[in-house]
Parts: sequence; structure tokens; C-alpha cells
Amino acid sequence: MRDLIAFFQRFRVFLVFLVLQIVALTSYFSVVTYPRTQFLNSANHVSGTLLNWEREITKYLYLDAENQRLQEEIVALREAMPESQISIDQKTRLINDTLFQQAYRYIPAVVINSTHTNSNNFFTIQGGRNRGIAPKMGVVSDQGVVGIVYDVSEHYAVVKSILTENINISAYIDGSHSHGIIKYTTLDPRRVSLTGISNDIAIKRGAPVLTRGSGGFFPKGIPIGQVDALEAIEGKPLWDIKVRLGTDMRRLHYVYVVENLLKDELHAIQQQLEEFEN
Amino acid sequence: MREILIHSAQFFIYLFAQTLIIGQIELGWGIHPMIYPLFIIMLPFQLNVIPLMIIAFIMGISIDLFSNTFGLHASAALIIAYLRPEIFKIFSPRDGYDTFLIPSIRELGFTWFLLVGGTLTFIHHLWFFFLEIFRIDAWTLVLRNTLLSSLISLVLFILIQVIFFKRPKTS
Repeated sequence: MRDLIAFFQRFRVFLVFLVLQIVALTSYFSVVTYPRTQFLNSANHVSGTLLNWEREITKYLYLDAENQRLQEEIVALREAMPESQISIDQKTRLINDTLFQQAYRYIPAVVINSTHTNSNNFFTIQGGRNRGIAPKMGVVSDQGVVGIVYDVSEHYAVVKSILTENINISAYIDGSHSHGIIKYTTLDPRRVSLTGISNDIAIKRGAPVLTRGSGGFFPKGIPIGQVDALEAIEGKPLWDIKVRLGTDMRRLHYVYVVENLLKDELHAIQQQLEEFEN
Repeated sequence: MREILIHSAQFFIYLFAQTLIIGQIELGWGIHPMIYPLFIIMLPFQLNVIPLMIIAFIMGISIDLFSNTFGLHASAALIIAYLRPEIFKIFSPRDGYDTFLIPSIRELGFTWFLLVGGTLTFIHHLWFFFLEIFRIDAWTLVLRNTLLSSLISLVLFILIQVIFFKRPKTS
């Protein structure tokens, strides 16, 4: 009898251990492998506020470099404005505005917490539902794609960084027009992999890699990085391409959330396509 | 009562030091120093393993809330809380632990802490990086991250104890 009680006592400890471990692992793996369940992240109020305080203190450390970058960006944009360009041909100067319609809107946001050393990285931005940010919106910096919004609360949002194994951003290589999918398998925060490009297509090193815009997360042609190295995968007719990211994910502070104003339309028409195929 | 207050205060100090300071430091070469395992190692001897696991779990989850790791720290913290009594038994001094209160350098000596703390830290980090990377072909990376991070964490553990726990022995 005493043995039985002792056994049960031992077993009870293990049972508690097992239950708690299952809770932790379920939460972890459901996020890493299947992006739906959403708890235990820093989009909640308490940790969001604290991380915000931390940023308030540390932001002065990188203010100079950031200002310079923003200034450079403003210069580039000013130069692209019609006012700063001289028309060569008077006849083509007329621009009919009804030909263009705003398709993407940019929402500025500040990164308050980020990681880049894990094999699946996320970062938290200040700005949530209150600014019109919703899950599955793309996130870019001034130098290129950085991630996709994963979860939002009232004032904060958690973004799945481009340094995540199943980020699956559709991209193409400029010049060759062949397209593939971006994944993070290198464990090096400066490089990501571009998979699914057939190895009979000639690809130059240093060619820019741009977004294809097929998921509606990003406009077409947003830079991601440059082709850094390419190797043939053994036994498969595919290239293994490493892309050097345009954005330094280790120093990410200011980002823009991309809202696709025509997303519903895109999804509706793509759904029709699926119905055709079935 | 006083003990509970002290340990609760320590809980928050470790939590915020880990998430707002230590977790933000980047050293490269896959080094992730962590200090909260020391909190779990240094909980009193008289604490049973079930409350110990629950405290460790809460600590882990709190860190997950801050660092977007979704349960990874909770799982690793739980492992060392579960194994702590076993490891203590293996490295038990000749007369057992009856006369001791807190598993620390001050009460049990440097060698004991190095063995026990080192083993628990290694287990914690190995489990953490194994789950985090979760690829069999990257086992060298898991091992490298584990060894380098354990080394740095252990140095931090010793520094923390030397700096903050060096008051003369009361009671």
C-alpha cells in the first residue's frame, strides 16, 4: 500500500510536469508551424507598455543615424516629385488623375521590441487597431520588405519578421522574371533563401530580388534584397539562392505598414479561380 | 512571510532584468545569455517540486509574453524545475541538505554551485536551443549556441551572487 502511495506521489509530480509542458509546447509549436492561435505574445497591454518605456529611454541612442536615413529618404522622394522635374515634351506633361487610383496606403510605425537571432523571429510595433493595422498586412522599411503583421491589439501589433521559416513571401528576380518563394533557413539575419526557381534559368549575382505582390501583402516591385550566392540543389532541378537583405534586420526602428485597399477584390477574384479549378 | 516577499520581489527583478536588459543584448555567435534560470535554481530547498514547477512555469510564461517566444521559455524553465531535485541528489554533500536554506555559493561553496548550476544551465539551454532551432541537421549549431550561452550565463550567475548576495549570514 505504501509503495502504491509512493508511486502515485511520484507519478503526480510527473503528471503536473507533463500537463504544464504540453501547454507550453502546444502554444509554441502552434505558432511556429501553424499561424493561428494567438496568445503569449507582446501585443498585450502590460508588456507592450513596458517595452514602450524601454524604447522611450533607448531611442536617443540611435536618433542621429535614423534622422540621417529619414532625411535621405525625403530627398529621394522630393526628387521624384513632378515639381522637381523638368518636362522635356510639353505635350506629355498633362497627367489625367482619373487614370490612377490609390491602391496602397502606408501607415508609419515604430519598432519597440525585436529579435533576430532565433530561427523564427517576431517584432512588436507601436500602433494597432487604433491606427487601422490588421493582421496579414505587409510591413516594409525604407530599404525593403521586413515582415507581415501577425496579431494586433488596440495599441500594439506583433509582426512576423522576414526572418521566419514559413514567411513564404512570393518574390521574383529582376531581369530574369522567374519567381519563387522567400524562406528563412540560413539562421544568418543578413540572408534569406529564395526557393523554387528552376536551375535552367540564368541568374546573375547581385540582381535585385523584388516582391511579386501575389498575396496582396505588398505592392509589386518592393525591394527585398540582392542575389548573394547561388548553388544547384543536388538531385533537384532547382537553384538554392541566398538573398542578401536590403534591410539590416538587426537595426530596425522605423517601419511602414502597407494597407492594400483593393485586397478584398483580389481575394474575391482569386477565389473564383480556385472554384474554376475544382 | 518575509521569505515570500523577498522571493516575489526577486521574481520581478529577474523578470525585468531578463526581458528589458539581458534579453536585448546581442553578442553574436548565437549567444543568448539568460539569468532567470538562477532564480529557479536559488529557490529555497524546502520548496516542493510541484510549487517549484508552477513558479518556474509562471516565470517562463512571463518572459514569453515579453519576447514573442510563445511558450519556449516556459517549457525550458519547467524542465529544470522538474529536474532540480534529481540534480541536487546527485551532487548532494556528505551530510545532505538539512542544514541549508538556499542553494547558493554562500551556503554550499563555489565547486558545488559550479557543478549544479552548470548542469542545470546546460540542460536548460540545450532544451531551449533544441526547440528553438528544431532541425536535426543543425545539431552543431544547437550545441554551439548551448555551450557558448551556458558559459556566459554561468559567469553572470556567479557575478550576480558575488555582487548581490554577499551579505553576512543571518539566522
